[in-house]
Amino acid sequence: MLSVENLSVTFRTDEGIVTPVADVSFALAEGRTLGLVGESGSGKSVTAKALMRLLPGTATLGAHSRMRYVDKAGQAIGIERLSPRARALRRLRGGEIGMIFQEPMASFSPVYTIGNQITEAIALHRGLKGRAARALAIEMLAKVGIASPERRIDQYPHTLSGGMRQRAMIALALSAGPRLLIADEPTTALDVTIQAQVLDLMRGLQCDLGMAMIFISHDLGVIAQVAQEVAVMYLGTIVERGPVRALLQAPAHPYTRGLIAAIPRLDRLEGRLHPVPGEIPSPSARPAGCPFHPRCAEALAGICATRVPEPVDLGGGRVVRCHLHTGERSVA
Amino acid sequence: MLRFLAGRAVGMAVTLVLVSVMVFAIMELPPGDYADRYAFRKYSGTGVTITEADVAAIRHTLGLDRPAPLRYLDWVGGIVLHGDFGKAYAFETSVNAIIGQKVWLTLGLLFVTLVLTYAVSIPIGIYAAVRRGTATDYGLTVLSYLGLALPNFLLALVLLYFANRWFGASVGGLFGQAYEKAPWSAAKLWDLVKHLWLPALVLAWSAMAYQIQTVRATMSDELGKLSVIAARARGLPEMRLLLKYPARLALNPVVSTIGFDVNRIFSELPIVAAVLGLTELGDLLLKSFLDLDMNVAGAILLLLTVVIVGMNFVSDLLLAWLDPRIRLGG
Repeated sequence: MLSVENLSVTFRTDEGIVTPVADVSFALAEGRTLGLVGESGSGKSVTAKALMRLLPGTATLGAHSRMRYVDKAGQAIGIERLSPRARALRRLRGGEIGMIFQEPMASFSPVYTIGNQITEAIALHRGLKGRAARALAIEMLAKVGIASPERRIDQYPHTLSGGMRQRAMIALALSAGPRLLIADEPTTALDVTIQAQVLDLMRGLQCDLGMAMIFISHDLGVIAQVAQEVAVMYLGTIVERGPVRALLQAPAHPYTRGLIAAIPRLDRLEGRLHPVPGEIPSPSARPAGCPFHPRCAEALAGICATRVPEPVDLGGGRVVRCHLHTGERSVA
Repeated sequence: MLRFLAGRAVGMAVTLVLVSVMVFAIMELPPGDYADRYAFRKYSGTGVTITEADVAAIRHTLGLDRPAPLRYLDWVGGIVLHGDFGKAYAFETSVNAIIGQKVWLTLGLLFVTLVLTYAVSIPIGIYAAVRRGTATDYGLTVLSYLGLALPNFLLALVLLYFANRWFGASVGGLFGQAYEKAPWSAAKLWDLVKHLWLPALVLAWSAMAYQIQTVRATMSDELGKLSVIAARARGLPEMRLLLKYPARLALNPVVSTIGFDVNRIFSELPIVAAVLGLTELGDLLLKSFLDLDMNVAGAILLLLTVVIVGMNFVSDLLLAWLDPRIRLGG
């Protein structure tokens, strides 16, 4: 349904050209969920925005970037080739691919009611207006678990609680009837209990509607609950991807191992936390070779710092980009 | 909403009372009063010698020897109850007769100026923000800085010169000679419109430049907001998106500074009036100060401040209408 190949994004900035996404490839089948995980600045959100062509004018896609999407009618669309003003792009946004964001407060405009913004999406993608659109909006609000939706629909975003707003945002995205939902850290800004409710809701809705989902989070624990497959990003590259269980049980990349070790565990309170050593380099100072090598305890001298590791297929749908798996030996 | 309005209305009333006290104090400031003037007017050139006692007698018959607070109440009472602004010194007539239709001309000029300001600055500000960083944007920015830097009276002179060269006819004043004293008619109104654009343009100039900058800055902020990206992500056509989401919020700072713009326009009115030969309140205010005709000056000052305070109230109302967070007290 969606396949991304060699996606690269560069930004022109005052400090020169930065590359927040470099050579990213993944595929997503209908009804499946892909988790994109990584620290802040790893290029997760930029990847998501590139899929919707929402990047600012200072961004350019790499020449070999391909984003192929098969729409409801079975038509294949090259997202990277759509013109910014094309009708096809506007149909894609919302109607084919819905998106929800980290900040539920900021994703709604404060000066229009929730209902106004939901019925707008319904009018654009379902061709319903007036009462029919309103009825559908109320139905969607009820579906995401908002109590007395016929009253909430006329309220302004600032009168709703954070969890309620994120539910409303999900209702908005789903009311346009997308086949793929991109959720960019949808639960990060919420309390833990609300977070669990919203995750539960999203999983349920996804089952009901048969949607595919790209779930972005920095939290491997959250990803493990919602996704079947996971891609671990570091400095704009997918360093490892595969089925979620296999990847968590036997991480192949040192960075993935570090991420898993860094998760605080309630059953081991005596031990110290194990953060991944070092810091993410600034995007304008991307290390040569494997981007992770300055922080990697297992880096191979003479190799990791000079050569970019190619993807290695480990079988079972697992792919890793690491010289430890390419059969390279340290050059002393 | 009602609480908000009530609060603003009370604030407005208090402001008006304070303003009237201040204006009255200003009227009291210059030495000499109506009794001095009256005596001077009546007896100068007649050879009659006037003593302090004569003036005091006049003062007493006119009630001007009463304490200031009483006279203030008289003055305010006359205005509020009868719309009577008292007597004009220099003209031996009432202030109302002098101000008369000039009030409406001034309000008309103010209205046209405001409409012109916003009709020009809002679209240009939005356009510059959307085209941010392009040559068009820089061009517009430079022009608007020029607008801020150029003194109004200079602009008035320059425009006067060119208008005179290109349109030939006299462009000063608010009416052509044929219509100056004529009764109101469609032709006179058209004549007014033909004359009004120039002073309106001069008065709008700096407000326009300022508001272009404001709109551009807020619009640029709004364009980067997540709610705008979210609206784009649901497939809204770009033009509708711009107008519905960021442009709507970019209006807020403009609407909330309407009162300041009115203030700015009034401050510039006397000088622009002098240069362009306008015969409305600005010109009269200048003259009445020169003549120390404090009743006229006071009446004009009071009227102008009432308009400013009133427009501030209007801007509050508009803001509450535009932004539900204010309306609903969020």
